[in-house]
Amino acid sequence: MEYIVEMLNITKEFPGIKANDNVTLQLKKGEIHALLGENGAGKSTLMSVLFGLYVPEEGIIKVRGEEVHINNPNDANNYGIGMVHQHFKLVHNFTVVENIVLGFEDTKHGFLQFDDAIKKITDLSEKYKLKVDPNQLISNISVGMQQRVEILKMLYRNADILIFDEPTAVLTPQEIEELMNIMKDLTKEGKSIILITHKLKEIKQVADRCSVLRKGKYIGTVDVKTTSVEKMAEMMVGREVSFVIDKEVAKPKEVVLKVDNISVYNHALKKNSVTDVSFEVKKGEILCIAGIEGNGQTQLIESITGLNPISNGSLTLNGIDISHYSVRQRNNSGVSHIPEDRHRHGLVLDYSLEKNLILQTYFKELFQHKGFLKFDEIRINSDDLIDRFDIRSGKGSTTSARSMSGGNQQKVIVAREINRDTDLLIAVQPTRGLDVGAIEYIHKQLIAQRDAGKAVLLVSLELDEVMNVSDRIIIMYEGENVGEFDPTVVSENELGLYMAGSKRSDQ
Amino acid sequence: MKKLLVLVAAMVLVLGLSACSKVETYKIAMITDSGGIDDESFNQGTWEGIIDFADENDISYKYYKPLEVSDDAYLEAIDLAVEGGAEIIVTPGFLFESSIYAAQDLYPDVYFILIDGTPHDPTWTTWKTADNTMPILFNEHEAGFLAGYAAVYDGYRELGFTGGMAVPAVVKFGVGFIAGVYYAAQELEVEDDIVFNDDTYHYFGDFGPSDNFKNLALSWYAADTEIIFSAAGGAGASVMAAAADSGAMMIGVDIDQYDQSDTVLTSAMKQLGNAVQQGLQAWLDGEFVGGTSVYKGAANDGVALPMETSRFETFTTAQYAAIFLDLADGTVVVPADYDALVLFLNDATLDIPTKDEVEGTTD
Amino acid sequence: MWEKVKNYLVANALNLNIGFFLFLLVFIIPQFFANNDSILLVIRGLIVATGGGYIFYKLLLFRKNNPNFKPSESKLLVDVAGSIIAILTGLLFGLILMLIVNPGQAFGGFFVILQGGFRNIKSFGDMIYFSVPIILTGLSVAFAFRTGLFNIGATGQLTMGAYAAVYIGVKWGVIGEFSPFLHWLVAILGAIVAGALWGAIPGLLKAYRNVNEVVSSIMLNYVAMYLNTMLIVKYIYNRDFARALAPKSTAVTPLMNLHYLLPNSSVSGGIVVAIVVVIILHIILNKTTFGYELKAVGFNRDASKYAGMNSKRNIVYAMVISGAVAGLAGGLMYLVDGKFLQPLNVLIPEGFTGIAISLLGLSSPFGVLLAGLFYGSLKQGGFYLQLYSFTPEIIDIIIAVIIYASALGLFLQKFVIRAMKKREMLIDQKPEEAVEGSDA
Repeated sequence: MEYIVEMLNITKEFPGIKANDNVTLQLKKGEIHALLGENGAGKSTLMSVLFGLYVPEEGIIKVRGEEVHINNPNDANNYGIGMVHQHFKLVHNFTVVENIVLGFEDTKHGFLQFDDAIKKITDLSEKYKLKVDPNQLISNISVGMQQRVEILKMLYRNADILIFDEPTAVLTPQEIEELMNIMKDLTKEGKSIILITHKLKEIKQVADRCSVLRKGKYIGTVDVKTTSVEKMAEMMVGREVSFVIDKEVAKPKEVVLKVDNISVYNHALKKNSVTDVSFEVKKGEILCIAGIEGNGQTQLIESITGLNPISNGSLTLNGIDISHYSVRQRNNSGVSHIPEDRHRHGLVLDYSLEKNLILQTYFKELFQHKGFLKFDEIRINSDDLIDRFDIRSGKGSTTSARSMSGGNQQKVIVAREINRDTDLLIAVQPTRGLDVGAIEYIHKQLIAQRDAGKAVLLVSLELDEVMNVSDRIIIMYEGENVGEFDPTVVSENELGLYMAGSKRSDQ
Repeated sequence: MKKLLVLVAAMVLVLGLSACSKVETYKIAMITDSGGIDDESFNQGTWEGIIDFADENDISYKYYKPLEVSDDAYLEAIDLAVEGGAEIIVTPGFLFESSIYAAQDLYPDVYFILIDGTPHDPTWTTWKTADNTMPILFNEHEAGFLAGYAAVYDGYRELGFTGGMAVPAVVKFGVGFIAGVYYAAQELEVEDDIVFNDDTYHYFGDFGPSDNFKNLALSWYAADTEIIFSAAGGAGASVMAAAADSGAMMIGVDIDQYDQSDTVLTSAMKQLGNAVQQGLQAWLDGEFVGGTSVYKGAANDGVALPMETSRFETFTTAQYAAIFLDLADGTVVVPADYDALVLFLNDATLDIPTKDEVEGTTD
Repeated sequence: MWEKVKNYLVANALNLNIGFFLFLLVFIIPQFFANNDSILLVIRGLIVATGGGYIFYKLLLFRKNNPNFKPSESKLLVDVAGSIIAILTGLLFGLILMLIVNPGQAFGGFFVILQGGFRNIKSFGDMIYFSVPIILTGLSVAFAFRTGLFNIGATGQLTMGAYAAVYIGVKWGVIGEFSPFLHWLVAILGAIVAGALWGAIPGLLKAYRNVNEVVSSIMLNYVAMYLNTMLIVKYIYNRDFARALAPKSTAVTPLMNLHYLLPNSSVSGGIVVAIVVVIILHIILNKTTFGYELKAVGFNRDASKYAGMNSKRNIVYAMVISGAVAGLAGGLMYLVDGKFLQPLNVLIPEGFTGIAISLLGLSSPFGVLLAGLFYGSLKQGGFYLQLYSFTPEIIDIIIAVIIYASALGLFLQKFVIRAMKKREMLIDQKPEEAVEGSDA
């Protein structure tokens, strides 16, 4: 019995698309098997099939050599399959123990029995070095620990086939390192792991074998040790991918945005989320605001774009004070904004692609006349952008934004914001959740904008991106600007110390 | 596709066949007024009369509900009743006046009984009652008179009146009630003990129950009013509630309301059922008299107090029979409006409600 | 300018000709043959044939231009199919209920319900008459809904509109002496303004004080109800009948010649107004920057803020328009001969039915028009069902069950998509000649 899980010739269709087309995945016992593919390649669908969320049209699933029918997650649990979702499924006002035993509770005369559970959880967490505090509330523990809770949840249910769906997306570099070690320990104890990711670095680091999907099709399975990162990337994207970003040295010119001692007050928490931050962005440079998530970057950007008022300080754009401008006024005076959350802010998902492409410009004379939309112009605009920015979608301009892949949704936003041709381009985590090909594309676009003489303000959590793309780096910690760096000089480690708050340079 | 066709064909066939199933016809039809059939008022009283008559004579009957309260909708319901085989149609309430005006000519072979109204055209310019139409009107003042008379004989001295709105029928109830109260007082020579004037005479402005109405009644009871006659439809429920809270009594209206509350001393009844049955009987006997309005009062059992269910303590059935006879044979002619009331009482010293209050012209 | 007009006329020659022809057939020609039943019959036939033929032609054209069209990929078709399934579910519920109540006459009665407004000319006209206020309140709810607002206050806005219309109808007879049509128009405008003001209140509260519009609009229903009673009694009271005075005949909704085509029915020009409103709302929602903003706010308030749209102003505008349409419904409802506003402290139910109709009509103006007519048809079906041995109360229940089961049955949509998809897959497995042919 060589394979513990075999998914043979799986085909799963959705209206208008074959999400999995004759895909085969074979997981050996005790291995870490990476499932690699771009967003929308069908990784999640395949795992949902294994987890019983979807029933495939064709293909068979074998667990421990026997053909099985998995109709719901409970079946999956019974076969020892467990999944750590990308977005944790935890109850925030429950404790760690309560979350772990949820749905699996021991009761005695109708009363919950936690003692045994706590003992079992403590044992598990020692055995696999999964450090948690069983009695803490989920809302009080870090993201990394929440993930460990999710892993314990699977182990508590005696799962020995573990699926990790993009587990590193939310973690700091140190936490990622820790997770990799945990995964290795798990396989040593005989667990088998499927790791869904598009981060090649991680695959190279922990995985034994790697299966690649592209556009729903099975491309192949390779041995990670003997395969280069470039080769795997090529399998995933379907063409050669360059990892080195070619860019010339920045030639900064006049100041576009001047942020002067800005503070933002959070009324809910009754404290400042941004305190006295000052910086300038010049034409022809990319300024990157780095930092761990939740250190005031979001609030800072919202105050610059006008979504949130500033409580103190001033904003100057091309010499004009815009501190009290409305969002529309700022847009019109030259601010473009690729927002952090493309579903919440960036797109109206129920609108078609072409309508999303005029979100801030529909009222301009180009697109309307006396209040009536000019549909011909709107179509010309969107066809042009689709062509220039290589936006792929099912039905071109009329495709509903909701039905597009994440990468292409982001391309829509990038196309729209860049096309507005403003002096300042703000991009907040523009590559979040995107695959290699799309990331490469967006980085190129940002640099092209810089070279075209725009001021680019980039907010990023990914150190790779910070180091490769930016010309200047500011690090934010707890709402403050704790230091400014030149990426060609500073080391990643040095940045990490500033991001974690253990170092700061006083200006 | 074929399956679908077969299915559709089968459906059409089934429905087609079943559509041919025989529709029953109903000879006596009633059209309901705006309320439901169990409105404890006109619809119900009329309907109960029809049921009694039709069951006794083994004739088919049915009521039809118009789609809305409008002349057109009422006429359409009459159309429907005729299509359903109606030979005589009973319509309760003056809201049917215009519809009957049109229908009596449209269906000359169908008979109509219109209760509490007289047919006229929608613009109120032409009044016409055709030979196939019998409008039945009630002497509300006689019913009110009986109620007032009985109350005073039963020992009540401080009285009140609440009307829904000052529409003619309600005003007549009130006028009759005042007449009855003081007539009995004069007979008993207790005029000076009677307290019944503007202070306890009021129109709610609505026929529906409301806490405001209850509060008003409570304040009256608190000021020693012993009994309130409420000619106010559903708003009477508010008075009953107030009476129950105050341990006092009230008098109901239109139909016997004894079962709605223990506080109902008696009810100033219009004998809807009797009137309808008399009309239907005439039709059945081939003696239907149309063309003119029929007035139902004590003389033809059109008004009454429900003696069997009343909660009188001293007022006796014999006393009731005597005064009822006086009304029936015309010994006592109850006034129907305020001017006649003043003449009837013939005593300027009496502290009776004023004309403005009774006719609802104050505000 | 002239060139543009000419181009437009040429480009839309067929549509315009058909439209003009239908206009003549419906509004003009019948009056010359008012007493000639057979010619009227021919005219009705022509209308149906022209309309039906036009739609059929358009469908054929569409098929020809889109040979690869897959129904399951069209949101519109899937939604419409969902609504139809929902209606069938509702009817099924009704049939079951009838079988329980009176098995002997259930099928015959059910047929009457299916016939509905199509029983005869008169019931067809009555169907239209009863559907007008429902279409408008449905539109009112639907329009607010597209902006992400749930306007449960249509009833109150309708009441205020009705009062304003009747007040003007009763009191401003002077205008009628000058021009009857103008009097009606002013009364209707009064209804629109009154409804709009009443709708603006929850809109303003929502926009500037973040008061939930569901709560504020539902409470305003009661305020409107009592205010209506008070104002009737105070200003336009008919004491003898405990109801409002009748509007002057000049204020009554004109028949617009529809009574020639649909004699003996209650039909009036109200349906023309309703259709005009359908078209206006359709244009606002789908063709204007205003509608673009409103829908963006409705779909995703955060994104609309990000785009710099003034969501507060949009909320107020949406509620004003929603209220105006509901007010118009009230005006048309009571500017009718022989129908009177009553000082009854009862909420007018049309406002609530509008919610179900808006749901059934998928919140699209044309969908609401059809759903409203469906409602009118059901009402007629229920009325004629009285010919069978069902008591009116049971019939009310049956009709209510059908409407609500229909509106709630929309969740069945996903089954529709699945079924459509299956069918298409079967077709796809056949040789793909059509696809190749079209690519060439």
